[in-house]
Amino acid sequence: MIRDHRFVKDFTFVSFSPQFFFRILVFSTVWFVLTGSDISSWIVGVPAVLIASKLNLMLAPSSHYSISLSGALRFVPFFLNQSFRGGIDVMRRALSAKQLLNPGLVSYVTLLPEGSARIFFVNTISLLPGTLSAELHGNQVTIHTLDRGLPIWANIQNLEYHVAALIHISSDKKKSL
Amino acid sequence: MEILYNSGTLLIILGLPFFLSGTVGLIRFPDIYTRLHALTKADNVGLGCIVCGLALQSASWAVTAKLLLIWLLVLIASSASCHLIARSAMQKNIQPWTRP
Amino acid sequence: MSWMHTVFALILLPAIATGMFRILKGPTAADRMMTAQLFGTCGVAILLLLGTGMGTPVLLDIALVFALLAALATMTFVRRTWQYSSKRNHGNPIQ
Repeated sequence: MIRDHRFVKDFTFVSFSPQFFFRILVFSTVWFVLTGSDISSWIVGVPAVLIASKLNLMLAPSSHYSISLSGALRFVPFFLNQSFRGGIDVMRRALSAKQLLNPGLVSYVTLLPEGSARIFFVNTISLLPGTLSAELHGNQVTIHTLDRGLPIWANIQNLEYHVAALIHISSDKKKSL
Repeated sequence: MEILYNSGTLLIILGLPFFLSGTVGLIRFPDIYTRLHALTKADNVGLGCIVCGLALQSASWAVTAKLLLIWLLVLIASSASCHLIARSAMQKNIQPWTRP
Repeated sequence: MSWMHTVFALILLPAIATGMFRILKGPTAADRMMTAQLFGTCGVAILLLLGTGMGTPVLLDIALVFALLAALATMTFVRRTWQYSSKRNHGNPIQ
């Protein structure tokens, strides 16, 4: 579904698809941040950016969805807030004299499409309060939790909703899946 | 300027306890999964606070961007390696510790 | 030179040093490897603080490389060492 044979076939740099252009933009920004404003660094930078963009496009062919700007703008504060709470939660459990842990495993079936969206979802689970993604089999995620009393399902569903908003999937489409 | 600098200092001070409690968790928690929680979450938040604090104190955009890039990289790296370690532990049938 | 940042970096040193205890205790190799990850994040924080404190922006680049290496070390360890040793030592079939 997500693998697109088009990108395996052409090796030329001629095809400036929007995805290729987007990658060039991202890698150029990274290069600029790394090297600063020195113009001569682009002697190495331009080939490096081009090669990185092409390799990225070939190794991780872009999927059919694109990143929504408004989704990203809403995701960042959500993520910062959640991971801060996660840090506070761990701090509380680590420093309290009483044993506050009540760990367990929870299974969750995700509706997110296969590929980068799902991987992104699985990786961000680990930064949420009290949850850690332990295994991913198809669409089933095994989650380890620090406290079985936490509202894990609600938290994960909320995260899933935010990731879906990030990649332009409406909630109606999610329901139909 | 002074206000920015001082709030940066405050953020850095806020970040330090996270690192310390991450280490305490790594030592105190009973099994590999719970230790992973302590390590990834606490340290990433601590680093986030320190990065934001230093970014507020630095006068240049270049330094701020580089600091944020470092944090983003550490975030990606630690969540990925955290998931890898947890998955391998599951595959090796290491049972999670449960409350007796 | 700002002494404040150096003091902050010094406060973080015990966080790394105490992590050594986990290397001694184990029990699995992955537990020990997690200390390396701790070195990664704490080390990055210390380098960033020192870079500002001593006015040497080069330390930012070193922090960047440090972060990359810590991640690579953990991934290489999990993919190569830990999964192999599981097959050899315990005979646990993977999955």
